Amino acid sequence: MTKGDKYLIIFIVIISLASLIYIKKFVFNYNEKYISIQVDGEEIKEIIFDKNIIGKTIPINTKYGYNLIEIGDEKVRVIEADCPDKLDVKQGYISKIGEIIVCLPNRLVIEIKGLDNERDVDYISH
Amino acid sequence: MKGIKKLIFLSLLVSIGLALSIIESMMPVPFIAPGAKLGLSNMVILITLVIFGFKEALTVGILKSIIFTLATGSISSLFYSLSGSILSCLIMYIIYNKFSEIFSLIGVSIFGAVAHNTAQVLVASLMMNNFKIFSYLPILLLTSLFTGYFVGLASIYITKNLKKTF
Repeated sequence: MTKGDKYLIIFIVIISLASLIYIKKFVFNYNEKYISIQVDGEEIKEIIFDKNIIGKTIPINTKYGYNLIEIGDEKVRVIEADCPDKLDVKQGYISKIGEIIVCLPNRLVIEIKGLDNERDVDYISH
Repeated sequence: MKGIKKLIFLSLLVSIGLALSIIESMMPVPFIAPGAKLGLSNMVILITLVIFGFKEALTVGILKSIIFTLATGSISSLFYSLSGSILSCLIMYIIYNKFSEIFSLIGVSIFGAVAHNTAQVLVASLMMNNFKIFSYLPILLLTSLFTGYFVGLASIYITKNLKKTF
């Protein structure tokens, strides 16, 4: 055991702990799920949740109609629509993977999807 | 005569490494993290590297990986173990040759373990087409510190005695 070994061990411990903390803080809280906006069965937009886009509104104008989507803190809702029954507005926020908002007259589907592959990683198992 | 002796000794090392890997794969591993191994067969490669040299160590590593695949029958593990042993062999050779005043065999072994894990994670992320697997690397690195340390410690004692015969 030389001095170089000790420095190497300390160096690796610091590097791996730092990257562990970094990963836990930044990679796993966000980016786990994203909003998929589909019109007439085709995905027209993917939005990954981020701190910077909280409170942003996204207008969706298609030939079928108009909807206004608001993005919250890991949740999303429709706040305006030109469809007659406004069911999508009444539904409120959705936040879990697999939940969807459907506006049938405008052929709009807003779905929250998970980045599937990520679940393959066994992150920590004590 | 010397050539035959070397040949027999190298094949012995391969079989020892093979036996160690098979025993290791039977062990209930997830004591800290799934996928983390003790890396006992790394000891064989390290010893070969110290006593014979780089070419022989690479041969032993590759042979061990191939025969291990034949013995256990999982093709996908061939890529992991081959990439791991080739990269760790290369790194250990560089460290052992150029920086042996700075690092003892323990340091060399830790470098080898780190290289082995990095190569495996790299190959896994390429095969699954998902680079988020790299988030698993820090945990593997931490465990490889312990395993690398003890592998290096054991190698020091073994090579001390083996060098007398060669």
